[in-house]
Amino acid sequence: MAKRTTSPVVGLERNNEPAVLILTSLASGEKHGYALSKDIESFAGVVLGPGTLYGAIARLEERGLIEPTPSDDRRQPYRITAGGRAALSTALEQMRQLAEVGTSRLGARVATSGSSLGRVTPGYST
Amino acid sequence: MSDSNRFNQMLRWYPPYWRSKYGEGMAALLEDTYGTGRVPMHVRLSLVKSGSLERAREVGFIGSTVSPLERQRAGSLLVLCGWGAFMFAGALFAKFTDNWGASQLGQGDRVLVMYLYRVVQWTGAAGVMIVFGAAIVALPSLIRLLRSGGWVHVRRSILRAMCAGAIVVVTTAALVTWAYHLTVIERNGGLGVYGFAVAVWSLTVSVAVVIVTSAAVSTVSRLELPRRTTRWLSTMAVVLTSFMFVILAGMLTWWSIESVREPAFLRNAIGNGLFYTSSEFPLTLVIASLLMSVGLCAAVGGTIRVIRARRDDGVYV
Repeated sequence: MAKRTTSPVVGLERNNEPAVLILTSLASGEKHGYALSKDIESFAGVVLGPGTLYGAIARLEERGLIEPTPSDDRRQPYRITAGGRAALSTALEQMRQLAEVGTSRLGARVATSGSSLGRVTPGYST
Repeated sequence: MSDSNRFNQMLRWYPPYWRSKYGEGMAALLEDTYGTGRVPMHVRLSLVKSGSLERAREVGFIGSTVSPLERQRAGSLLVLCGWGAFMFAGALFAKFTDNWGASQLGQGDRVLVMYLYRVVQWTGAAGVMIVFGAAIVALPSLIRLLRSGGWVHVRRSILRAMCAGAIVVVTTAALVTWAYHLTVIERNGGLGVYGFAVAVWSLTVSVAVVIVTSAAVSTVSRLELPRRTTRWLSTMAVVLTSFMFVILAGMLTWWSIESVREPAFLRNAIGNGLFYTSSEFPLTLVIASLLMSVGLCAAVGGTIRVIRARRDDGVYV
């Protein structure tokens, strides 16, 4: 039977992806749903609805990237697993590379448009 | 209603397994966020959407968490849902063309539209045969399910489907008996009470189609289908989708030719027991074609899922 090969970072490509936001939040320690929601709102300015949040939690748990921790409270906390840390690290590295390329090209374009106006900015090339 | 119950109620759109695993946490999140205040409508709608998606994921309609065989089964069931829409749309089309005979057409046009009409009829009949064939293929698995005590799980949906089927048979028999005592004009818009009865009957049939299709989906989802059976069923589903495409194309072509060559039939409400019509776009045909389009979209979605799942399973269709 052919097996689907799924990269651990599939679905984590965008920085506003709920999965990335949740993993980033859990990287600083275990949290339950409400704490996750508030933390994500504070560092990313994104308000995840309950359906979106728990949908992403379920997918991350299925993929073994996060896991529930023992709790007597109905507020179930979750923590990031070693696989989750690796996936987040890979995703963030990809984002960093993308940001670098984007920043570099944006700089080159500014320089090009500058030179067309007769101003030469050394150090940039198109 | 206490706050806890209130929030639990909002999660009823999610499947039972989901509620047992995440329900408490989600209810706590809602309680922490909104307390005793009102939960905004967009959040409620978001829960409806997310819950429905989780149900679709549970059956295997979306997502890739289930095995390729499960996805083949889910794709086949999606095609069956599309066929449910076709059944009702086909009944509307049949009623609309009850008294149609292409009598005002020339020989060439007459042969063409008659041919199209027959294609729609015979392809529909072939589709029904395929669905019966699929039921026969799945029968041994159903018997195994019932023998292993599965009746308690499917009893409610099967009994409901049988009741719906019985109601349709009885109301159809009553309507047909009544129709035999009416004139052509009375049957086709001349008698308001009969028109109303036909509208109520149509509604009953549409609800029955939904109930029977849901029962089939719910029952087949519980069956332990062997690999070969699943492949047979998914192949039948792909063929059924092609039939649905032929039926819709045939009906639309028939309609377009009729609207140009024999518009009086469409305009004068002859053959139209449901609604009076005043143009080449009679409401009955518009509804039928919309239903068929929705059904075909579902079937195409199911077929794509079947084909992808079979590729993942190492079978190329």
